[in-house]
Amino acid sequence: MSPSPSSLSRRTFLAATGAVGAAVLTACSDLTPGVSASGNNSASPASTAVPADTKITLVVADADDTTMTPGLIAAFRAKHPNISVKRQYTGWDDYLKSINTTMSADSAPDIAQFTSGMQNLVPGRLLLKVGEYGKAYGWAEKFPGLDQITLTPDGKTVGTGDLYGVGGGLSFEGVYYNKAKAGKLGLTVPPATLEDLEALFAKAKAAGETALVAGNLDGGLNHPFNVLLSAYLTPKDREAWAYGHKGATIVLPEAEKAAETLKRWVDKGYVTPKVNGVSDNDATAAFAKGEGVFRISGNWAAAAVAKGLGEGAGYFNMPPVVSGGKVRTTGAGVYYCVSSKSKNTAAAAAFLDFAASAQAAAITAKAGFMAPDAGAMPSQSGLLGDVQAGWQTVVKDAGLQPFIQNASTPTMGDTLTTQLQLLAGGKVTVEKFLSGLQTDFENYHK
Amino acid sequence: MTTADRLTGAPAPAPGAPPPAKRAAGSTVPRHGRTPPSDRRRRRRRAVALLYLLPALLPYTLFAVLPMLHTAYLSLFDWDGVTLPSFTGLGNYRRIVTDPQLRAAAWHAGALILFFSVLPICVGLVSAAIVSRRAGRRGTALVRTVLFLPQVIPLVAVGILWRWVYADDGTLNQALRAVGLGGLADAWLGSFTWALPAVGLIGTWVVSGLCMVLFLSGTQRIDQEIYEAARMDGAGPVREFTAITVPLLRPEFAVALSITVIAALSSFDLVYITTGGGPGNSTVVPGILIYRLAFGGGAVGVASALAVVLTAVISLAVLVINRLSREAP
Repeated sequence: MSPSPSSLSRRTFLAATGAVGAAVLTACSDLTPGVSASGNNSASPASTAVPADTKITLVVADADDTTMTPGLIAAFRAKHPNISVKRQYTGWDDYLKSINTTMSADSAPDIAQFTSGMQNLVPGRLLLKVGEYGKAYGWAEKFPGLDQITLTPDGKTVGTGDLYGVGGGLSFEGVYYNKAKAGKLGLTVPPATLEDLEALFAKAKAAGETALVAGNLDGGLNHPFNVLLSAYLTPKDREAWAYGHKGATIVLPEAEKAAETLKRWVDKGYVTPKVNGVSDNDATAAFAKGEGVFRISGNWAAAAVAKGLGEGAGYFNMPPVVSGGKVRTTGAGVYYCVSSKSKNTAAAAAFLDFAASAQAAAITAKAGFMAPDAGAMPSQSGLLGDVQAGWQTVVKDAGLQPFIQNASTPTMGDTLTTQLQLLAGGKVTVEKFLSGLQTDFENYHK
Repeated sequence: MTTADRLTGAPAPAPGAPPPAKRAAGSTVPRHGRTPPSDRRRRRRRAVALLYLLPALLPYTLFAVLPMLHTAYLSLFDWDGVTLPSFTGLGNYRRIVTDPQLRAAAWHAGALILFFSVLPICVGLVSAAIVSRRAGRRGTALVRTVLFLPQVIPLVAVGILWRWVYADDGTLNQALRAVGLGGLADAWLGSFTWALPAVGLIGTWVVSGLCMVLFLSGTQRIDQEIYEAARMDGAGPVREFTAITVPLLRPEFAVALSITVIAALSSFDLVYITTGGGPGNSTVVPGILIYRLAFGGGAVGVASALAVVLTAVISLAVLVINRLSREAP
């Protein structure tokens, strides 16, 4: 070790360090950051008028790695020459980590992509209530799924309260299948009921195929589980829990049926073997390379599947429990919200409204999302066309339901992954699995 | 003596004021019988020394010491990261010691010490002994480079790479099937039994090269004459290794053990990339819990308290290692 300096000077030195530290600490009045709930975040007065003569700069923060957000920004700028829009893109993980601090800063962006975890910004009054703009623009008719960004003042419950944004591009889940293999095995698609779907799985398995390609290393079994819940639960129960309504429960006979179905699919060998060791992305890649027959995933996987299987890729909506029932499925969206610190709320609201336009629909569809205006999406052929037709049915049936892990509690994503791995690994019963989810829910909604 | 002892040992001098009777307050005994330099000269020397330290001290205080103190301060609050925090005293610490998930995480971190410290030190020691004995021969430089290579790859890349190795159709299972052991093949990272050892072995792979380089530099310091003397006495390579190399590498052991134990206890990136703590909770470590609590769970206070405890445990471990390694053999 290096020779130490004389003990006295070292002491002085350390003492000085301590003194400097203490001085800086006491000088810093902002030791416990955070904002009091005294700010004003109501938009008033609201109109659809956008100032056209003054130069305005809007800052948009997002983690959207598709071409949608940059495309919308470019088109919006072309439409409003006096408004320049600056994009602050951050990768998804870093965005989740930093967005709450970013929105608390004085230099907060005017518009931000809403993600789970940001509900904490609501009690801090850092998000603008855009309901008044919504009334002026008529957003209730233009955007599906606005309830997913309607929150109570404490930010803990979704679906009731004030509107905080709009959904630009939406995503939803359904069933992809390999047309060549389905034809060879004589499988009739689309199945009319969930039971029929399971019969197809059994047939594929009997022929030595992986029936349902899945990966649960990072919790990818939540996709089948979410759509099974959509099918089995009543929309009321389903939404009450997913939106974190106080007193809601997932320990229901219908939820047990959904979890039992998923467990049976694993136990009977329909699902990819050793599913806990496969990541969700690798499962999509394997399916696109021709492995297995079916895959339950979202429209975000359509591009990869179409690229891999070409003409051999097919899609149908998740079948209902009873033949002829309404289509219900799980989905989310890229939601844009406005900072309560923004000085250009009228321009920001105009941007939000622009996301519902027919022009935006083309941009959104090109990026692989479903547009709020389902009818205005340019028609596509092949797999993307099938997915789009599926989306139009979902919108018609008003069947878009939230992912249970997004808004129920901030920790539900991790809890659901953990519990699904335990369920697929045969470490817990269906009852323990559901009560594990319920425990997380009750810890948060005390 | 801990830093805190030293801090309180001498009162902070008021800036600008003439120093109080230092000789009485301090413990300086004139060294080597030399006459001590005059007060003024010593004061000037100290001022100059501090001046030299300032460029390092200032950023270190601002970006390391203060955030650490701030974390400790925040650990006393119940805070979601956005709204006003409320003071809870030691409530967060109480929650930590009673959390069963945390106890599991502590066990896993302990198990990782085996893979991040014990195994790499053994591997590093043996490979250093072999490489140093063959110094100068063809290929040793290549071996050294290859063994050290994992150390320069970013941990995130390492994690992604090993995910492929451990996948159901990954290289490890392919190798097992090729030699007729296909029955042993598993999706390693998804197995409740094997996920933790699998993640640990990645750590062994990463850290072994570092240990080898440390020990290599140590063996070069050992006088060759000692080896020659041993050889004259009829010692073979194994005897040389156990009787000379290992005992004389004591300081390197201390350094290697400190670095690797810190890596084991504070592990996060590797686990986060490969398993995220799963399957179930079978690879959850304290670092993962801190991340989940602070960035997903909106429990910044609890996360801070956990970080403080983790820092304290690591400091204690390093302190013990250094104490033990200083004792005479």
